[in-house]
Amino acid sequence: MFLQQLFNALVLGSVYALFALGFTLTFGVLRVINLLYGFYFAAGAFAALAAVQRLGLGLAAAGLAGAAVAGLLGVACDGLLLTRLRRTRAPELSSLIVTLGGVLLMNSLMQSLFGAGVRRFPVTPLTDRVLSLGPVSATPVQLVIVAAVPAAVAALFALLGRTRLGAAIRAVAERPETAAMMGVNVGALLALVSFVSAFLAGGAGVLIGVNFNAVQPYMGEAMMLRGFAVIVIGGLGDIRGALAAGLGLGFLEVMTAGYLSSELKDAVPFACLILALWLRPAGLFGLAAARRA
Amino acid sequence: MKTTILAALAAMGLVAAMPDAGRAAEPVKVGAVEALSGPAAKYGVAIRQGFELADAAINAKGGILGGRPLQLLFEDSAGNKEQAINAVRKLIARDHVAALLGPTLSNEMFAVGPLANQRGIPIIGTSNTARGITAIGPFVFRTSLPESDVIPVTLKAAAAKFHLKRVAVLYGNDDAFTQSGYEVFRDTLGRMGIAIADTETFSKTDTDFSAQLTKIKGLGVDALVVSALAEAGGGLVLQARQLGLNLPIIGGNGFNSPKIAEIAGPAADGVISGSPWFVGKDDARSKAFVAAFRAAYGHDPDQFAAQAYDTLFILAAAFDRAGGTQGAGLRDALLKTDSTGLLGPFRFTADRDPASVEGVVVTVIKGGKFVPLN
Amino acid sequence: MDSLNDFLWAYQDLIYGLGTNAILALSMYAVLQLNQLSLGQAAFMGVGAYVGALLSLHTGLPFALVLAAAAAVPAALALLIGGPSLRLSGVHLAIATIGLGEVLRVAYVNTPALGGAMGLSGIPERAGFAAIYGLLAAVLAGLVLAARSKIGRACEAIREDEDAARAMGIDVTAYKIAWLAVSAALAGLAGALNAHYSSFIGPGEYGFDTAVSILSFAILGGIATPFGPVAGAVVLTALPEVLRPLHDFRLVVNGLIIVGVVLFLPRGLLGFRMRRTGGLSGPARGATRRV
Repeated sequence: MFLQQLFNALVLGSVYALFALGFTLTFGVLRVINLLYGFYFAAGAFAALAAVQRLGLGLAAAGLAGAAVAGLLGVACDGLLLTRLRRTRAPELSSLIVTLGGVLLMNSLMQSLFGAGVRRFPVTPLTDRVLSLGPVSATPVQLVIVAAVPAAVAALFALLGRTRLGAAIRAVAERPETAAMMGVNVGALLALVSFVSAFLAGGAGVLIGVNFNAVQPYMGEAMMLRGFAVIVIGGLGDIRGALAAGLGLGFLEVMTAGYLSSELKDAVPFACLILALWLRPAGLFGLAAARRA
Repeated sequence: MKTTILAALAAMGLVAAMPDAGRAAEPVKVGAVEALSGPAAKYGVAIRQGFELADAAINAKGGILGGRPLQLLFEDSAGNKEQAINAVRKLIARDHVAALLGPTLSNEMFAVGPLANQRGIPIIGTSNTARGITAIGPFVFRTSLPESDVIPVTLKAAAAKFHLKRVAVLYGNDDAFTQSGYEVFRDTLGRMGIAIADTETFSKTDTDFSAQLTKIKGLGVDALVVSALAEAGGGLVLQARQLGLNLPIIGGNGFNSPKIAEIAGPAADGVISGSPWFVGKDDARSKAFVAAFRAAYGHDPDQFAAQAYDTLFILAAAFDRAGGTQGAGLRDALLKTDSTGLLGPFRFTADRDPASVEGVVVTVIKGGKFVPLN
Repeated sequence: MDSLNDFLWAYQDLIYGLGTNAILALSMYAVLQLNQLSLGQAAFMGVGAYVGALLSLHTGLPFALVLAAAAAVPAALALLIGGPSLRLSGVHLAIATIGLGEVLRVAYVNTPALGGAMGLSGIPERAGFAAIYGLLAAVLAGLVLAARSKIGRACEAIREDEDAARAMGIDVTAYKIAWLAVSAALAGLAGALNAHYSSFIGPGEYGFDTAVSILSFAILGGIATPFGPVAGAVVLTALPEVLRPLHDFRLVVNGLIIVGVVLFLPRGLLGFRMRRTGGLSGPARGATRRV
């Protein structure tokens, strides 16, 4: 039973980390808490669902399509809402507020388009078959989620750390004016970052939607509350921090529900958030403070 | 919409001839406040369809009070307390309705019941199942069986079939409906001498129940008892099966929904719930209702539509017994209700709750369909 | 006469709602004027509502004292939560206050004395026209006086450039903490008033949606003067009742307003400023003015 709980914790922690990666990336580069992230998450799941049901695509192809649709939506929405504010150098709060209005608008539109009810992906072996790994029961999609997190982290580090493109992105994140003077096309790079971040959101939406069989317009909102806790605890903009904080929160939640009391489960992430704000406001690894300075 | 309903009723032989009597007479206005938009709209819309079908049938037979048509005024509350209050205030003071139907959610009734009571206008909830609804005041009625009436019937049937001795209870603790369902389960299990090995909670928006279910799996219980809304319930049932918990799952009213089978797929088989009515109910009255409803709306009715349908006939009969539209007279006439509808024989208790549980059917899901448990 | 009474009875909650929402909008103004964003206004409102309702249900305290307590408790809570996050960026305060709303919801649901998920019902109707509009007038007058005084000048300096304000000798952190407390107190007051005319409160009413509605009042009206948020609250509360079809699209409308105003009308509907300011505002500043 303890092994099963440990596996439950690993899956939930991976879910949180997967959700938070793109979210913290947006902040790291665009310097914006992009509340539309929850919308990209849900939009990816809905687009993949439509690809499965209307176009008859397989789950993997539909998942990629859903993530790509979310990525394009990300480029469009971020471009419309944030570019203008960036041009006028409005402070971060204006950007936060404008994405707040945007997410309210888009979620309500999604609800009037698709209804508020919960939907699920069709029953397939990938979603509903149960594998017995010794004493642990797991579904294939849970294993995919657990594997997707290190893969996504490795890809992000390779992109940001090893490529010229990554160097340009980092330059834009640290000193946008200098980067522009050095001939970096800042607008195109920001659009690329929006795409990558929203692609990650959409992909996470598909995987998490398949795993929990709960696709609905407000699925992103429910995750956003956890997402805030993860990216603040991990340090705003810190990818490693988001990974550690996501896994840690999943572990604490499952162990609280499994061995203490499930009534306290929901309070765990927010208690951690408030503790983190008191004790380690710059994030687990203190990176946020260094970057802000 | 009216014409299609009438056509449907005529086709079913429920309407002998189109009436023309009511045309000249002044209509009797009745307000209905339902959640027609927002997350609770699936209940509110079903209820409105039940009312409309009954209204068309009543007016086709010549209306009430010797030929006056019964006119329904619908207001959307969106499941929101503030909007429900505004709607009820407007219906009472601007439209001067003689009676009120709804609202959809128990929380809304707690907010608007006192207003109807203050103005002496009878208000009848057709879908409120929480504790304490009719204690709001002497003008507040409900025709929906509270969970405290349905759950004991369900548990008795399940305990007899599966010889339950020890169960685990899971419930959504952030919703009035699922919390009051839990309290009834707990008390009833206690009275029946069935031990509760463990109690676990979750919240409305939760999607991961694996920690709670894994803990329960280690306890070796005879059944899971769950008080949840259908949407969380479906995911919970599926995850229980994935973790190898192949036990009977006994649910409250929230489980009496096709959504459970839709989300859990084949895993939903073996889910047991009780309901005041279900679409496969085998009597002539229900069959005629289902056929008329299908003809008018193109899909099957649910219990909420059936409860609404019965309620409007109960109200119409009370108007006739009262001989007028005065609030106090109407209330006294409602208390004397003694009729038989889709849900079986119906009377009110002195506390204005339904008096009989004869109509309750206990069902189990088999192959994705609700069938009677036996 | 009878029909006038009926008219007032029919729209009583709307009339009361206009007043309490105006107070909520002013509570948002109190923090926004320092370029701080609190998404905890709904949570503070909820604390005020619960404190007020419990006192009225279980004690014989006079209504004025109930209201005072309903303002004081959220203010104390704001100090507790705001203390650490105000030292950081504005984004931290926004996130911490969202977290607060969620923690409180869990607390209400798990505390039987607070009615759990069933909420509290049967709250006596003690808030009337005089209480609501009297308090609104007092709050508005207080904020206008503050805006015209030395305090207002300091707030504007902080809003325009925090570092410069600090260099001028303004204790920026003290200002932020004090205004956050005032803001929480106002939200708590509005919550208690609301609880005392709608007879029922539940744990689900003070969530993120409510917080965003309150924000949209202030954004629509603009925060150049305290009158802006009041106008925003009046428009956004009355509009869905006047145009009932708008009800279904209430959230869409709120979203459109926030996006449109931030992008195109950064000063809000009532964008004129207090007379006093002079030097700081100019066309160039106007374009980059902070929300």
